[in-house]
Amino acid sequence: MGEYLQFVTIDVWTMIFTWANLIILFLLLKKFLFKPVNKVLDARAEEIENTYKMAAETKSEAESMKGEYEQKMLYAKSEADVIIKSAVEAANRRSDSIVSDANTQARHIMEKSQKQIEQEKKNAIDEAKEDIASMAVDVAEKLIGKKFDESDDEKLISDIIDRI
Amino acid sequence: MEKAIVLAASAIGAGLAMIAGVGPGIGQGFAAGKAAEAVGRQPEAKGDITSTMLFGCAVAESTGIYGLVVALILLFANPLIGML
Amino acid sequence: MNGPKVIFEIPLFGGIKVTESIVNMWIIMAVLVLVSIWLTKGLKVRNPSRKQLVVEKIVTMLNNLVKDNMGNGYLSFAPYIGTLFALSIFGSLSSLMTMRPYTADLSVILSWTIVTFLMIQANNIKHNGVGGWLKSFTQPVAFITPLNIISEIANPISMTFRHFGNIAAGLVITSLVYGGLASLSAAVLAWVPDSFLAAIPIFQVGIPAVLSIYFDLFTSFLQAYIICMLTMVFVQSSGK
Repeated sequence: MGEYLQFVTIDVWTMIFTWANLIILFLLLKKFLFKPVNKVLDARAEEIENTYKMAAETKSEAESMKGEYEQKMLYAKSEADVIIKSAVEAANRRSDSIVSDANTQARHIMEKSQKQIEQEKKNAIDEAKEDIASMAVDVAEKLIGKKFDESDDEKLISDIIDRI
Repeated sequence: MEKAIVLAASAIGAGLAMIAGVGPGIGQGFAAGKAAEAVGRQPEAKGDITSTMLFGCAVAESTGIYGLVVALILLFANPLIGML
Repeated sequence: MNGPKVIFEIPLFGGIKVTESIVNMWIIMAVLVLVSIWLTKGLKVRNPSRKQLVVEKIVTMLNNLVKDNMGNGYLSFAPYIGTLFALSIFGSLSSLMTMRPYTADLSVILSWTIVTFLMIQANNIKHNGVGGWLKSFTQPVAFITPLNIISEIANPISMTFRHFGNIAAGLVITSLVYGGLASLSAAVLAWVPDSFLAAIPIFQVGIPAVLSIYFDLFTSFLQAYIICMLTMVFVQSSGK
């Protein structure tokens, strides 16, 4: 059997070896375990960060595009509205003008015919008046037997007729 | 003869030193009881409570461990024999 | 009960005794370094292998432990805490491989806690300056200075004895149980005529495993955790 140290003892060389071991293991673990793994973890965190950033960028881009499209759509809609409205207006105007044209024409025709009718009426009345006058003169001549002075006759008769 | 007396006294002393183990036992019992109470009141914090209790227990154990170390020194690295 | 065995002696300075503790520590260190080299081989940022997940989990846990207990400024402590934790827990667990646990060697634990002590003082000086460091001993009143110095020195000693005492007690009790079981089986098997068969300590099978679960697994983990926690807490609080 070899030599043993005491169970409870402080051995300086053991302590020195322990310190050396601690430092060596610290450096080795740092180099072989912590550094590469931390590097990978950092790289992954960075990549995730980048992915998120890119996704946010894409999203904002899509949103701006969407807004643009929406604006365009809105614009197109209003334009269509304007076009429809103007077309409707033009059509209305046209129909109005047609109707009013027709109305005026009709009124013209009516007026014309009214005038004609009135003229005819007047003519007829005048004719009748003349006939009546001549008839009256004839009757009177026959009744009185006397020939009236032409001018007196006329005056008298027209007075009578007017009085009727 | 003197050595025998010192050795016997050291052995008795080591045994007496281990009476120090009573204190941490009571203390850790208290801690465990309180931890059980805490888990009963807040079961979702079981992990935290357990680790805190173990940490506290291990620190409270110090006095008992001192007794143990004294006993170990008396048994295995007796400084009294060298004084003879 | 013996201390660590002297494996060989270097004939320098009147004979440097290289003990079992140191040799076991070298073995553990070699295993740790080789395992970490193997684990960190072929690390990938995308699609990590299962091996890489394990090593990442370990490193992240250590980083988080340091971050939670010390804050982000002390992240460079993570490798040291990891080293201390690995040395402590695998040292204690080496008793499962029938090696003598070097954590049951007072010198080993004492050197670790002296490192912690120096770290505490260095961190204090770094944050408060030499004047602030000296002044911190006179807080809150001047006449309490000797007590402060004693409590400062008592910290590493108490840490040492806590770790050493737990593992050594486990070692002592385990060897007592082994011895007791050996003599028990010798007594029970005394009627067997064949002396070789009678020498087989049958009771040593299985029964010590129950004790081993507490003294080796539980205590090893707990003490490794405690020494790391205390190191972190003391160093962190010294920098305030």
